[in-house]
Amino acid sequence: MDTTNLKHHDGHVLIDPVVEEGLDSIGVGLFRLNETGHLTRFNHNAALVLGVDENTGWDDRHISRVDRLLGSGLGENYTDIIDNDSGFVRRDLRCTNSHGCYVELDLCCIPVKDGPDRQPGVLGILYNTQGRAGHSDEPAYLRGQLRILTDVAAALSSSQELKQILKVILIGATASQGVGFNRAFLFLYDENTDKLSGHLAFGPSSAEDAAGIWRDLDAMRLSLGEMLDPEQGGGDDHVDPITGLIADLSISLGNDSLLSSVCRGGTWVNLETTSEMDPVTRDFADRLGTRELALVPMISKGKLQGLLAADNLITGQPIRDEAVRLLQILADQAAVAMERARLYDAQRERSDELERINRLLAESQDQMIKFEKMSIIGELTAAIAHELRNPLTIVGGFANLMLKSDASDEQRQYLNIISSETQRAESVLDQVLDFSKASRSDNRAIDFSRLVEQNLGLLLGQLHSQNPDMVLSLASEKLSVFGNGDQLSHAVYQFLKLVAEDLIPPGSAEVRTESRNGRAVLWIKINCPEETRDRITGLLQRILKDNRTSQRLTILVAGETIRYHGGDFGLAIGDDSIPSFFVELPLAKESGNESTSTSGR
Amino acid sequence: MNPRVLVVDDDDGIRFLYQKELSQAGYPVEGAASGSEAIEKFSRGSFGLVVLDIEIPDMSGLEILSRLREIAPETPIILNTAYSTYKLDFQSWLADAYLVKSSDMEPLKRKIRELTESP
Repeated sequence: MDTTNLKHHDGHVLIDPVVEEGLDSIGVGLFRLNETGHLTRFNHNAALVLGVDENTGWDDRHISRVDRLLGSGLGENYTDIIDNDSGFVRRDLRCTNSHGCYVELDLCCIPVKDGPDRQPGVLGILYNTQGRAGHSDEPAYLRGQLRILTDVAAALSSSQELKQILKVILIGATASQGVGFNRAFLFLYDENTDKLSGHLAFGPSSAEDAAGIWRDLDAMRLSLGEMLDPEQGGGDDHVDPITGLIADLSISLGNDSLLSSVCRGGTWVNLETTSEMDPVTRDFADRLGTRELALVPMISKGKLQGLLAADNLITGQPIRDEAVRLLQILADQAAVAMERARLYDAQRERSDELERINRLLAESQDQMIKFEKMSIIGELTAAIAHELRNPLTIVGGFANLMLKSDASDEQRQYLNIISSETQRAESVLDQVLDFSKASRSDNRAIDFSRLVEQNLGLLLGQLHSQNPDMVLSLASEKLSVFGNGDQLSHAVYQFLKLVAEDLIPPGSAEVRTESRNGRAVLWIKINCPEETRDRITGLLQRILKDNRTSQRLTILVAGETIRYHGGDFGLAIGDDSIPSFFVELPLAKESGNESTSTSGR
Repeated sequence: MNPRVLVVDDDDGIRFLYQKELSQAGYPVEGAASGSEAIEKFSRGSFGLVVLDIEIPDMSGLEILSRLREIAPETPIILNTAYSTYKLDFQSWLADAYLVKSSDMEPLKRKIRELTESP
């Protein structure tokens, strides 16, 4: 704000800067108009009342435009003031400025000639009479309250977020443009425990803090509506330190204290001294560090939502009943908004749940289509395998028959090749038929750890003579996967068999299940001697990649089974360079991560 | 003397193979390519054992099995098929044995011996 021209008149100081600051602080506005009636200078209060923006130019602000707000008639009398060197006074001007604040004013104008060229103009003084004690004009006071209620109601109705609603009520309670309490504390009620718990508080923590906060707020020159607007300042996540006074405070309402009766009775109280308080309420006041406070219940449709406590600890001003009444009206509105927000949250949770279920249904549908395709593939492979079975039996059977006859050595060599290759082909058919048989069984939730345990037990029984060293460690929680139990069992068995027969000797293996990132994982860690690690790793890589190895078909079928179930498998090398084979499948439901150990040997 | 064996299979190659293999093992063998032929031959002649395929064009092997059981309940019947799944069908339990076809005839011959030798 530039007040240079206000400070000099005819070579003398017109308005001393200290006086000007003092005028600002008591709500007196000063402004200057040039000869043509344009506003050239003004102080903060004048800007506030006239509704002009101090940060932008004012060349186009002619008194006729500005005076539309005041309705004082200054514009019409302007020439007369300058030409006749006469004063102009209007009392009890009533208006709502462009920031939405209702004001009552006395206006006094005098002609001046100032500046180096002694330019003629008019110096105006605006005196806000609304601050006079006693509210002699009750309708004006009520209009001010109505404005607060309107602004708060608008802010509450525009938010569904509980957090924002709580801020609105606290801003409304503490802003000087609102009810104007120094501090306000908000407690939320828990129906289950019948207790109030401290949640949030607004206000300065000391007189010094107050001076800084209120100066900063004044500098922002926001209307209450603007303060409550999340876009302009009511939406930040700042938490005043005084919240710490109540953060861990829990108040039981199961007694006959004043606090309890306020909450149950639904009526505010204005406690002017601690002598009026029962021990529970006095402890409460002591916790807040105050001796006078207002308690306002927040009730919606007969249900307690919370409690507001407010005081004027910093300024020491007495708490007026009118202010508490107004706070009660705001609290009632906020309570309704809080209940609405909670209903909205509950509705949103239900909606999210429905969305989640719909998504699961869609995923299940995709999975079912996959399973259906797999079933068809299984039937097809079975049909092909059966068609191949008779020719193989005949070719191999006759080769074996001829081997018993008087065949030459060369013929016997050929016949042996036919016989062994026929047997290999028959073995392949057996595997394909096992897989296709499995594909026709039903899909269901399967305990993955149990499936691993069963197959390892079966394998160890069959490989009894080889005595493979395999230690089993199962996840403590149930790892539920959804799918075809026979298929998955077949796949897991084949993987375990591969490791037990081809990879373990001369080492050992740790077979472990765990839940990781929404997947059930089977780890088979191959503890082979260091000198054989590269060989084992290379062998496993070849098995997984090379389709000419005899194990490849088994792994191919097992791997496709895992992939059809949305899973994966492969080789992982640990930090200790020890290779592990893993199989993972999506969990049907969430599980934890703890493990327990059992011996599978 | 070894008992006569009736081989019921619609595949000529299988019948021929079994005839050769079992003949060499000392069993007289007769073949039937359909269900009706099998029932007719079984009704007329005396067979010590039947090797029966399940997938027969004119009649299900399991149905043939039931009919043969009605005619001669004491005659051993081996179900011999490319399908392992029929093992789960309770009708197949009427058979004395269930063997999946294989180029290795030894398991079949072993089973025939088991079922035809006097206890």
